[in-house]
Amino acid sequence: MTGFRQAQSPDAKSPEAQSPDAPSPDPEAPAGSHTVTLSMQQALNRALDEVLAENPRAVIFGEDCGRLGGVFRITDGLQAKHGASRVFDTPLAESGILGMSVGLAMAGFHPIPEVQFDGFAYPAINQIVCQMARMNYRSRGALPMPITLRVPSFGGIRAPEHHSESLEALFAHVPGLKVVSPSNPHEAYHLLKYAATRPDPVIFMEPKSRYWQKGDVDLRAADTPDAGPPTGAKVMRHGRHITLVAWGAMVARCLQVADLAAEDGIDVEVLDLRWLKPIDAEALVASVRKTRRAVVVHEAPLTSGLGAEVAQLITQGCFDTLKAPVERVTGFDVPYPSGDLEDEYIPNIDRILFGIQRVLEYRRG
Amino acid sequence: MAEISFPLPDLGEGLIEATVLEWLVAPGDQVERNQPLVEVETTKSAVELPSPQAGKVVRIHGGPGDKINVGEPLIVFEVPDNTAGIVGTVPKEEAPKRRVRLSAVLDED
Repeated sequence: MTGFRQAQSPDAKSPEAQSPDAPSPDPEAPAGSHTVTLSMQQALNRALDEVLAENPRAVIFGEDCGRLGGVFRITDGLQAKHGASRVFDTPLAESGILGMSVGLAMAGFHPIPEVQFDGFAYPAINQIVCQMARMNYRSRGALPMPITLRVPSFGGIRAPEHHSESLEALFAHVPGLKVVSPSNPHEAYHLLKYAATRPDPVIFMEPKSRYWQKGDVDLRAADTPDAGPPTGAKVMRHGRHITLVAWGAMVARCLQVADLAAEDGIDVEVLDLRWLKPIDAEALVASVRKTRRAVVVHEAPLTSGLGAEVAQLITQGCFDTLKAPVERVTGFDVPYPSGDLEDEYIPNIDRILFGIQRVLEYRRG
Repeated sequence: MAEISFPLPDLGEGLIEATVLEWLVAPGDQVERNQPLVEVETTKSAVELPSPQAGKVVRIHGGPGDKINVGEPLIVFEVPDNTAGIVGTVPKEEAPKRRVRLSAVLDED
């Protein structure tokens, strides 16, 4: 995996580093087990708790992040445990939240700000794009920006306008930013802990429709030699006939589609891209060289979406073996609709199955 | 569990208060979003106020004939901790439904 620099700051720890004051494994877990069942909310909360304990320079802030514990409860209890100087509320001003993050990072802190909803990131675009993303470059490495910006992202919860945007292509287009999205509680825990140790700014896109689903979290996984740090993409289901490429909430949906396709004799591989910048082209190509067919699925609108980038990387690496052009199953080129139309906008099971069928039917000439 | 208080909303046109006519829910009731909560009368008209969210009613403020000012507490709900404050609705986990069937001849060249 290229694109990740090792931490330059003496405060940034490698994911392997274990601090003695780090929280111990969950007392509810069976003896000898390192696996606990958590919702994504709880997994993210636990990761933040551990980051605060391990890194005295980490600070968390955003609208309602302190006393309330965040509208999605991701920072619940952290202010009471770690103090109001490390977990605190900000005014309702996203440009201020990100401007303060840049200043704190310049002063040696490791800010973990939250923008309460994806659509509220727009007022902070100047601070994100013009300052946070390029300060390291501008200062020739003298001022790294170890900022992890948490953004509850994507749709699926019947929220009003500005609460269901898919901004990954916007952020991925900005040099200097890393972009990542977890698909389940296990990924959320490890990716957030890892992102918070990076010397570069990371946009951490949390799929809000998956916050409440529970899953097993192996608390050790990122530290085992087999797993390594959670960089790059991850095969969530192995298959022979076609690769579904997805991230965030669409991974769970693609896994459902894979089960249904199996009833029809089609063996689907599901690749969770995880990192959307940089994209793990090696893993994409390895999967599709095997299956020779691919569909990329995302909630964001079609045009200039990340699906185009994925399709190009696959074409570049698999042109001689591809059975069909890469299909895209995505949201539509419209503003995100109101809740009643959400199920029509977000790629549903039938639209993804149609995408698979189009690829399977394709014949050259 | 967390408690969420819902104040009497601005009913429009510069109205500053309303009189409770009849409560349609009682403490202990589980209500759904948009379910009518209370009928109130203003100097303009009598209106039913829909619930802004789902939850269990903990307290109601004011009986029939009582005046409530805009912004004062009207009703208090109890909701699970992990949903308090969210904008939107927690999605339900449903069994996947399909209409599309796949049919393909896979040539193994």
